[in-house]
Amino acid sequence: MKRIVAISRKELLHILRDSRSLTVAIAMPLLLVVMYGYALDMELKDLQLGIMDQDHSPASRQLVRTTISSGFIVDAGRPAAREEIEPAFRQGRFQAVLVIPRGYEEDLASRGGADVQLLVDGADASTAATVDNYLQAVLGLTGQRLRVQSGGPGTAPGPQPVPRILFNPELISSHFIVPGLVAIVLIMICALLTSIAITREKETGTLEQVLTTPVLAGQVILGKVLPYLALGSLDAALVLLAGRFLFGVPMLGSLPALILYTGLYVLVALALGLLISALVGTQRVAMMLALIMTMLPAMILSGFIFPVSSMPLPLQGVAHLIPATYFLRIIRGLMLAGRNWYPMETAVLAGMAVFLLAVAIRKFRGRLD
Amino acid sequence: MGKLLFMIRKEFLQIRRDRAMLRIIFAVPLAQLLVLGFAANLDLENVTVAILDQDRTAQSRQLSEAVLQSQPFVPGPTVANRQELQQALVMGRAEATLWIPRGYARDLAAGLPSPVGLSINGTNSASGGKAGSYLARIIQEQGRLQAEAAGAPAAATAPPLRAHTRFLYNPELVSRYFMVPGILVILVTVISALLTSMAVVREKEIGTLEQLLVTPLRTGHLIAGKIIPFAILSYATLALATMEAVLVFHVPIAGSLGLLAVAMAAYLLVTLGGGLLASTVSATQQQAMFTAWFFLIFGILMSGFFYPIANMPHWAQLLTLLNPMRYIMAIVRGILLKGAGLADIGPDLLRLLAIGLATFTVAVARFQKRTG
Repeated sequence: MKRIVAISRKELLHILRDSRSLTVAIAMPLLLVVMYGYALDMELKDLQLGIMDQDHSPASRQLVRTTISSGFIVDAGRPAAREEIEPAFRQGRFQAVLVIPRGYEEDLASRGGADVQLLVDGADASTAATVDNYLQAVLGLTGQRLRVQSGGPGTAPGPQPVPRILFNPELISSHFIVPGLVAIVLIMICALLTSIAITREKETGTLEQVLTTPVLAGQVILGKVLPYLALGSLDAALVLLAGRFLFGVPMLGSLPALILYTGLYVLVALALGLLISALVGTQRVAMMLALIMTMLPAMILSGFIFPVSSMPLPLQGVAHLIPATYFLRIIRGLMLAGRNWYPMETAVLAGMAVFLLAVAIRKFRGRLD
Repeated sequence: MGKLLFMIRKEFLQIRRDRAMLRIIFAVPLAQLLVLGFAANLDLENVTVAILDQDRTAQSRQLSEAVLQSQPFVPGPTVANRQELQQALVMGRAEATLWIPRGYARDLAAGLPSPVGLSINGTNSASGGKAGSYLARIIQEQGRLQAEAAGAPAAATAPPLRAHTRFLYNPELVSRYFMVPGILVILVTVISALLTSMAVVREKEIGTLEQLLVTPLRTGHLIAGKIIPFAILSYATLALATMEAVLVFHVPIAGSLGLLAVAMAAYLLVTLGGGLLASTVSATQQQAMFTAWFFLIFGILMSGFFYPIANMPHWAQLLTLLNPMRYIMAIVRGILLKGAGLADIGPDLLRLLAIGLATFTVAVARFQKRTG
């Protein structure tokens, strides 16, 4: 036990001495939370709308007024001719253009309805769909109001569903992202830093020196891993606290359960880091391998942002080999939906931990003897 | 000139000799583009919907059919009552639930609004909101047709303002077309910035940089010799990745590839200069990598690669003006997807060039002071 503590102290000194890496390890997760919470959002804020009014009538002018006075829409210009629209799209000045065709007022008066045209920049498909949805809703409401004004029925027959959104009723993206960031940060610290810490000693040859002392190989590894475990837990706690107090991310499930599941996930992450350091000899390759094996999959393939169900089948298979995929399901379900019990996910994570640790220890033995 | 060629040859020899590195330079980016291109997808696909039909009429069945037959919805678990319906959402077995209560068809025939219950899992704020409005629209449209069939006058059911949407540049709204050029920019950035910084620091770490400095090579030669090979490699990656984008992902190329190459030159000034700068402030490869990595992550997040800049608060939008990646993202996407010409990308290109020249000058000045 004493020996483990001694090794941990030595590793802690290493960490504290490289102040830049330490700063990155602590500041990065916090900065990510702040950025995701305040700045990065798929939610529409300023929709740059160009309006081309070809009707020049009181009715069309009224439509223009009501459209630009609804929130989110920014009046980005009034193209006078069709030829002006394309260049504005190419230069990114418009996201969409509303064209009110000639005869708009007449149509409204004669048949109680009219057609307008929307041109939407489809290059960014995801934003384009949101822009279209939003403008359709604005025009739908405006039309309904026009009909009521002209004495028509206020409600149409048939279903008018209003989707009820559960677990995140206001669709706040930080409530979705913050639990996910815990998964990313833990894998970043526990797998990436651990793998480098051990390969560094290999590269500089100090690992042999340590091993000639009476300390056992297992004690060395445990001692080296503990400080990163502490750093990772600190980071995870910081992310969760920042999410709670800055953005009000809810915590509906049980806290002890969260700690238990997190502990299991950390075990898997550490095992991955150990395996990488057992496999390679230089920091450069360890870093690259850790990035490719842990960071990128955790960020891209786990469902952190991109839904796993939207991936092609082979990639869905890959996604189910990634520990973060399971932990994300657990932590999001626990915090946002209040579900505490995850037998399948727990079994998979435990299986991964046992398998990875067994392989890592075997590889280490072979190397160290 | 001869000295410079020697430096370049030496650098290429070094790159060629490190097999693991060579693999990282070519295979990894191309594999990443492949995986990222397929995975970085926000289009909704396979959204499971659990439906509880308590009306059991031809109309209610028709409504269920209409929902399940439209993209991207697939049937979820079968449920017997409302409690099971709610449970399906909580347990994650369905992403959305639709409850058609008894009396749906009766209300429809009477010309009354017929209530239905639509619930969405909003955990993922982006896809949840999108799925909700898609579903609402399908149900509304189907209900409108049914109301008309049941004898309601078209004047009451038809929406008074009908907007016809045309999506330019990407009529089928494939988000891959937008993501793949963005990933291409990131790959070129990683290759040029990260590898340059590590190549210089490595010579520092093993002490060969001093040896080079005592040769009659001038600092200019040294810098050019370090940078030109990575510029060539970056262009090679760009060409390969562009080919992959066209052949595998069928990204349409609307603009001029020559213009793309020119714009990329301005961007490489930033990344190669930035890599050089990172190498002057780092003593070890780990530090160089961490420094480059830190700037890379925030550069990507603030570039509009994924999160649109227009959605950011004002202060964050101002910050992005300093981000060179923001300009090259807009330029590459503009050229490839919208066929933007020099006149369209001019302002962005000028700003990029200004940032590039500034970075490069500072990097060279610092490098000379360090080494001279």
